[in-house]
Amino acid sequence: MIHHVMGVNGFYPLLMTLWLLPLAGAVLCWTFGPQLKQLAGWLGAATLGTSFVLTLLSWSAATQNSGGALGAHQSLLSWIPGFDFGLLLDPLSLIWTFIITGVGFLIHFYSIGYMHGDKAFARFFAYMNFFVFAMLTLVLSDNFVGLLVGWGLVGLASYFLIGFWFERPSAVAAARKAFVINVVGDVAIMFAIFVIFTKVGALGFGDVFANASQLGDWVFVVCVGLFIGAAAKSAQLPLHTWLPDAMEGPTPVSALIHAATMVTAGVYLIARCAPLWSVSSDAQMLVGTIGALTALVGAILGTAQWDIKRILAYSTMSQIGYMIMGVGVGAFEGGVAHFFTHAFFKAQLFLGSGLIIHALANEQDVRRMGGLMKKMPFAFVAMLTGVLAICGIPGFSGAFSKDAVIYGALAHGHPWLYAIGLITAGITAYYMFRMIFLTFFGSYRGDVDPSELGIRHPELAGTPAHDEHEPHEHDHAPAWIMAVPVGLLIVPTVFAGWLMFGEHSWWSQFFSAQFAPEHTVATPVSDVMTTVFAVAAVLAGFAIAYLRYGAPAAMEHAIERLRTETVRMPGALANALYFDAALDALFVRTSQLLGTLFGRLIDPLVIDGGVREVALSARWLGTLVRSFQTGLVRAYALILVIGVACFVAYYAIAGGVH
Amino acid sequence: MLFALIVLPIVAGFALFALPKTDTRACKAIGVAVALATIAMTLAARNSEQSVRWLSRPFTAAFHVGDSGIGFWIALLLTLCTLCAILASNVPRLRTFIAMLLWLEGTMLGVFLARDLVLFALFWDLMLIPVFLTLVNWGEHPATAWRYFLYNFAGGLTLLLATAAYGILAGTTDVIGASGPHVVGGWVPWIFAGFAFAFLVKTPVFPFHTWMPITYRDTPPPMVAVVGAVQSKAGLYGLIVVAMALLPDYLHAYANVFIVLGVISMLYGAFVALVQSDVKRIVAYSSLSHLGLIVVAIATFNAVALQGAVLYIIAHGLFTAAIFLTLGYVEEREETRSLVRLGGLGAKNPRMAGALCIAALAALGLPGLAGFAGELIIISGIFQSGLIWVSIVALIPIVLAAAYMLRLYQGVMNGPEVADLPERRDLTWIEGLAVAPLIAALVAVGVAPAAILSFDTSAYNVTVPALHTAQVESK
Repeated sequence: MIHHVMGVNGFYPLLMTLWLLPLAGAVLCWTFGPQLKQLAGWLGAATLGTSFVLTLLSWSAATQNSGGALGAHQSLLSWIPGFDFGLLLDPLSLIWTFIITGVGFLIHFYSIGYMHGDKAFARFFAYMNFFVFAMLTLVLSDNFVGLLVGWGLVGLASYFLIGFWFERPSAVAAARKAFVINVVGDVAIMFAIFVIFTKVGALGFGDVFANASQLGDWVFVVCVGLFIGAAAKSAQLPLHTWLPDAMEGPTPVSALIHAATMVTAGVYLIARCAPLWSVSSDAQMLVGTIGALTALVGAILGTAQWDIKRILAYSTMSQIGYMIMGVGVGAFEGGVAHFFTHAFFKAQLFLGSGLIIHALANEQDVRRMGGLMKKMPFAFVAMLTGVLAICGIPGFSGAFSKDAVIYGALAHGHPWLYAIGLITAGITAYYMFRMIFLTFFGSYRGDVDPSELGIRHPELAGTPAHDEHEPHEHDHAPAWIMAVPVGLLIVPTVFAGWLMFGEHSWWSQFFSAQFAPEHTVATPVSDVMTTVFAVAAVLAGFAIAYLRYGAPAAMEHAIERLRTETVRMPGALANALYFDAALDALFVRTSQLLGTLFGRLIDPLVIDGGVREVALSARWLGTLVRSFQTGLVRAYALILVIGVACFVAYYAIAGGVH
Repeated sequence: MLFALIVLPIVAGFALFALPKTDTRACKAIGVAVALATIAMTLAARNSEQSVRWLSRPFTAAFHVGDSGIGFWIALLLTLCTLCAILASNVPRLRTFIAMLLWLEGTMLGVFLARDLVLFALFWDLMLIPVFLTLVNWGEHPATAWRYFLYNFAGGLTLLLATAAYGILAGTTDVIGASGPHVVGGWVPWIFAGFAFAFLVKTPVFPFHTWMPITYRDTPPPMVAVVGAVQSKAGLYGLIVVAMALLPDYLHAYANVFIVLGVISMLYGAFVALVQSDVKRIVAYSSLSHLGLIVVAIATFNAVALQGAVLYIIAHGLFTAAIFLTLGYVEEREETRSLVRLGGLGAKNPRMAGALCIAALAALGLPGLAGFAGELIIISGIFQSGLIWVSIVALIPIVLAAAYMLRLYQGVMNGPEVADLPERRDLTWIEGLAVAPLIAALVAVGVAPAAILSFDTSAYNVTVPALHTAQVESK
């Protein structure tokens, strides 16, 4: 059997080192945490910084193209006979590795300041480094099982970090919810693997894609299985409900795992499996639609949040919806481009919100903020550039990639998805500027009684009033540690999009050998017109946000208006369109009911009761049991002997049987 | 060597009584030494066999012991679990308890190394005695001991009868580890039923499982670690080396019954585990669920599923032992097993939390640990054998396992600290040492499962998928 390998086989020590360094960092931070103290943070950041440099040094290896073998392939070990595990660094995995190590490094650096003084400081960096190792395993694997291993391990790291403050019941519950929903995705990918393994007989990407035709009609099933996995990891409808809850984790975790990297694994999976998606138009239709709906629903729910991190969480869900829509319909370059720019501006937004949360002693409710522009001008600039990028203001990074996705939907023959993409862009501008106005404009509302703002249960509304785990008031790390990464992120947040500008952009050159040429249809409107439409939608969204929250009239009565909005929030929005309640009733409650029914009713009454009946009614059995009590071993040996004797007797009578 | 391996722990168990009752340290040291010796001897005895002629009429039988290919791995698991259990033991009347553990080890080594059916059946019955005596002496409810007795000795009896009948029909019982002579006759269905009953009760599967949760609940943790991890595998091992290898036609004919029972066990156990509050009962029902999957795997007669089944037998043994031992530490300190009362132990007991966490993650099938490899290969085999819907249903318990295992782990270790729990001392180094080998093995088997998969499947009448054959040939 010929093995089709993607990537040029060879020995790549840099690749192995950049993959394993974060694992080494995790082990060191874990083992020597008490001795390392604050050094654990610097160690964690340093391993990532080194990995990032090694990624840059591997650039030429990753982009080498020799006779159709693209990138670098390193064989490692044989997992089970016939199936080898290796690393593959090609342009697609390179882009992810670049973000994971690069943005990861900045977020680790930031965390040294943010987590300063936490009693589990070293444990935090051990988990973070472990996450990076797991994520690199996911994107560098050259086969489906290795990808699934990375997939599961990032879920584990996410579980640990959501539940990092594990004394908090809400964090514990959120961590479990995220893990269980992700296992739904894991088993769906497992099923896809069964199909691939049975029909193709291989699990390496190269082998599978070269023989994809052997899948026949099963290719749709494979795509659906992979997509359920992608949906769970990337918070697509209806498996998104864990993501807002995941904001229980420390803010740097939200930035790295639940915005920039892990939640985009679904986008990576679909882009990686582009050869499968390209041959199944049903899968394209399904995934493109779910992506677009997720973008829309995420944006709608984003308009109804008060917790700054939950606003950003829903915006993440919505933006990943765009990416999934892009790679789903076949616009792989555009979808991946949006991952790339989103990683910068969303990390920027989360780290910016972290500056605010940190300064306000863990206040996360935007109703209790306001007027922070003067107090925190740097945070304001950071957040504003992030918002301009996510809204897609031309020139900022998000504009290039988002418009590429929206236009891509039309170019691949999905006008409805195109329309949803444009509408979502408008809603995005509305809720993002709502956040900006509430946070930075007007006057500070933190000293107003929560009930006047309509906040009935401050502890439930994202306001962990006094958190004993972060005694920041007394013990601050130097401010520059958190400011420098945010400042550095401003650069790509603004400029990264220019890589994708123009017909023969750097970006499309970079991916020219990765993705097969896309089959597009003639479009009624051009890409330039698309940008015009998008800007119009954004301006409309901005105008509404301004009128409701930013205009002088609105500012004047901010407190009353916020109370009214809180109290009159429609039930559907306040309850996140009842997705949680529906999943809870359908699956959680039903499972518990079945468990209780089986355990309390069937077990003791039906089965056990029957056995007990037999045991009690058979008096002779009782006598037998009593005889055993006197000398169990002896009596049993006796039965043994009698048994053997019976067969000897049988043999004697029957005269032998052969 | 092999005879010595089986006899050594049994004799050592008796020899312990020569020591003074109060010298628990010496008892434990001797127990550990014997367990270490059995590990070394098991490793040395791989691929070897020893045989002494015993009966020639009415059928030939021999004291024939050796490695059947699969038996070696389970024997290795057994010796490892015994070592860990002895290290972790801390119960009143320790001398007798360690003797029980050693007897259990010796008799079970007999079960998994026997190459003769009569020997197998003999050790099968003997291995029930130490557990029964432990339940009588250390158990909370005498009724549990009798429940264990009723079910398992009933199974032992049908096994013995079926063995004898098989011997008479086949002319020999020296058949384990190979496909035996073809047996025909009106009695064969009954022989098959006798074997099947014994194996299904021992595993157990629904509806023969009700002895198991209470037995696991009442047996002291070190003993239940060995029973849950290894004794439960005797039934599955029997299904493979007896039902698959010797009576394949009947297992084929009744495969649907086994698959249905396996699927019901899988789902039933998982749902019930979701709502238990006694931590040991959660693990007991999870065992019902996990072992149901192996029963399905065996009944498919698929080479891949069979390899996965053997791998999962080992993986399940490792994580079950680790979970039971850790929960034993919890119970010893906090004097409760109820999730209603437990909570927040992780803050002050990081080592204990770490051990339980890794074991629970292996149990819920985290990719990279041993349980995942077993599940992936088994269900892949089930899918290959054409049972597509069964393979889909088999994924449901994996999701449920994530829910109940995390509920277990978080319920004990996470959340706010509970004020009225008696003691919060972390693991001593010797307690840590008792779980460390199991944890290390879980990682090692997860990363490199290939060795366990390398046994010869040809004796078990399995179908080897066409693609797989091509691949092996190309190697």
